[in-house]
Amino acid sequence: MNQLLKRKSKGDMWFDIVNYVMLTIVMLLVLFPLYFVLIASLSDPNLIYSGEVWFFPKGFTLDGYGRIFSDSSIWIGYANSILYASLGTLIGVAVTVCAAYPLARKGLAGKSVIMWFLLISMFFSGGLIPTYLLIKDLHMLNTIWALVIPGAGGVFNVIIVRTFFQSTIPDEMWEAASIDGCSNTRFFWSIVLPLSKSVIAVMVLYHVVGFWNGFFDALIYLNDESKYPLQLVLRNILVQNQANSSMMIDVESYAAKMRVTELIKYGVIMVSSLPLLILYPFLQKYFVKGVMIGSIKG
Amino acid sequence: MKLFKRAGILMLAGMFALSGCSGGGGESKNQTVNPDQDANFNKTGLPIVKEAVTLKMVSPKAALAPDYSKMEIFKRLEKQTNVKIDWENIPDTDFAEKKNLLLASGDLPDAFYGAGFTDYDLINYGKDGTIIPLENLIDKYAPNLKMLLDRRPDIKLAITAPDGHIYGLPSWEENKLDTNPFFHVINKNWLDKLGLKLPQTLDEYTQALIAFKTKDPNGNGKADEIPLSFMHMQWCSDIAGIFGAFGLPDNLEHRIVREGKVIFTATQPQYKEALKYIHDNWYKQGLIDPESFTQDAAQYLAKGKTPDETLGSYVWWEVEEVVGPERSKDYALLPPLKGPNGDQMIGRNNGGGPGRGSFVITKENRYPAMTMRWIDQQYDPYMAAQIHWGPLDVVFKKDEKGKLVNLPLPKGVSAGEFRQKVAPGTGNPGVITFDDFGKVVDMEPRAQKRAEYLEKYYTPYMKKENYASIFFEPDELDKINRIEPELIKYVNTQRGKFIVDGEVDEKWDSYVKTLEKMGLNELMEIYQKGLDRYNANLKNK
Repeated sequence: MNQLLKRKSKGDMWFDIVNYVMLTIVMLLVLFPLYFVLIASLSDPNLIYSGEVWFFPKGFTLDGYGRIFSDSSIWIGYANSILYASLGTLIGVAVTVCAAYPLARKGLAGKSVIMWFLLISMFFSGGLIPTYLLIKDLHMLNTIWALVIPGAGGVFNVIIVRTFFQSTIPDEMWEAASIDGCSNTRFFWSIVLPLSKSVIAVMVLYHVVGFWNGFFDALIYLNDESKYPLQLVLRNILVQNQANSSMMIDVESYAAKMRVTELIKYGVIMVSSLPLLILYPFLQKYFVKGVMIGSIKG
Repeated sequence: MKLFKRAGILMLAGMFALSGCSGGGGESKNQTVNPDQDANFNKTGLPIVKEAVTLKMVSPKAALAPDYSKMEIFKRLEKQTNVKIDWENIPDTDFAEKKNLLLASGDLPDAFYGAGFTDYDLINYGKDGTIIPLENLIDKYAPNLKMLLDRRPDIKLAITAPDGHIYGLPSWEENKLDTNPFFHVINKNWLDKLGLKLPQTLDEYTQALIAFKTKDPNGNGKADEIPLSFMHMQWCSDIAGIFGAFGLPDNLEHRIVREGKVIFTATQPQYKEALKYIHDNWYKQGLIDPESFTQDAAQYLAKGKTPDETLGSYVWWEVEEVVGPERSKDYALLPPLKGPNGDQMIGRNNGGGPGRGSFVITKENRYPAMTMRWIDQQYDPYMAAQIHWGPLDVVFKKDEKGKLVNLPLPKGVSAGEFRQKVAPGTGNPGVITFDDFGKVVDMEPRAQKRAEYLEKYYTPYMKKENYASIFFEPDELDKINRIEPELIKYVNTQRGKFIVDGEVDEKWDSYVKTLEKMGLNELMEIYQKGLDRYNANLKNK
């Protein structure tokens, strides 16, 4: 008996060791690129390319950051991104939750028809040009609305939230509340929403990340550079050094572009991912709960 | 009864759909203003209009450039012409995508400036009326451009579509710099150290590379020397120049012309010979940087700037850019090498004619005549130079002979960076012919230097003939677009494989057969037909 216990714990020990080793490797695999971007942002671009930089910054320079912080377009992009992300998240989460709640309730007439329509839109879209024409005819081109409204209430999110409601807000709760004289609206505001913090937090994170990383809509719908979100500004900086060989007539400007790009590329990645890195830990505790419940019983 | 009702509803729905279509699409909303009756319009002289008129133009813009409406040169043009341009500037990297979206959705501006229209775009959108033919407008309202086209029938031929219309306006700097972009550079300092003279033949060059690899010329005790680095089949950095030593010079398109006949180089015996030599004598011995087949320009340019000098020989059309200004004195240009059979020549680039899609006017434009007069300003060579390189009093000043000469740069800015900020740059409307260089404007100092090198080292070893940039018929263009990209990709991949793996003799026949299967012969026929037609047209002019 004693022996068995000992052997088992030995096996457990090995299991733990292997586990820890594997997890450490995975962690390093995830962390190293981040760390590399950090040290690369502080190093001489030529040394990075010749492979000299791999663990400590070499040819230490703050030039990249200097250029970033003195570049007004990056700050305008930052301000725009914050605006788009907050407004877009507000609208998006509101629409998602408001769409999901009635669909989670039993009494809604025509529920399955509505669900069908939503699902169809999930698999078939109009395509780029019709969407562009629609946005144009709605006079939303070159405005903030073209970015925050068309994507609001994504069907996938609605399903997650709906499932969350179905599984955590029992019908009996509504029955009890209505006996006490609670209206539908009141029930939604005072009972459903406070109980759904975790899924709302998840929705907020999904939307913020989506808006923060998105550039394609902005690329298509915005003309005015002062309205560009951060990612589009960064993209313009980063793609600068992809030279098109047939266009490489002016070598001099090509070299100028490339130096600037190399200098600020990594710093810009740091600067742009910082807000999300800061935001994530605060939402992380809701994350598992919110997503898991929402995804079960889909 | 029920059936009738249903049919009625269907028909009604159909009618709505139809009426919706014709209401939305169809003919343009605007009626063109007849310029002869427009009292606001001056047919000659400046300003072009008495009361300001606004035109909407879409244009790409370099990443460092400000909005065109804030650019000095366009502010001046607006003041002179009284034509206000409502610019929609799109970063040049996204331009093609956005341009196609605008064209496909019919959301058209008055004109595309710096439009980057491909031959395919010009023909297709010209045919369906999205962009309008310009030749009559040029005759009536574009004296500068007309003069240019009369003086240079080859330019006129190059921009005329096969259907006889001109849809896009030209953009060109005829500096003859792109005849050969492959400047072969060798480390002269190392040669001196090792007691070697500048190689004249391919074998001497091979010996030098071996010495670079084995004799530690940079003296740091490490075998970190890269004898030869290049970028496989990339503009200005490939070893295509070397192939001339075997009697048949190559270029990036593997297409050359000899006495009016089009030849595909990559199936010729000389090409095979060259591949064998490069594999046996260079790659197998480790003389070629293995990254030559994968690296991008940033990596390549960084190789010349390592703390210890490690680069022995490379290809790039400017020495300084790879190794930096200080080290550049260590390096020397290598003239074309003599091959095993005594051949000594260098390839010549194809095309090199004017770009033809740099300005188009769309059907939405109510003032085509006015637009033509506006753009014609830029076909005055002085203005063209300013559009391409920068405005007077900012980048240039006029010397006593009236020529544009460069002003000193502001401190701490590179010329390239500065110019992007003050002018749209090369590739935009405007033509500066070879005659204009030296009379109207000087070539940039670096370009001038390059031209001199070209003259000294390469032009004597070059054949005159090349494949002109020919405007093909739509169906020819379809075929070329269908066959060529895949075919060239295959040729280039195989070239890399032959150099790295060898086995040229064993695999050659199946390689040639595959190319024939991919439509090589059909492709060459189209090119031959195009060339014959072009030469005939040129004779008739």
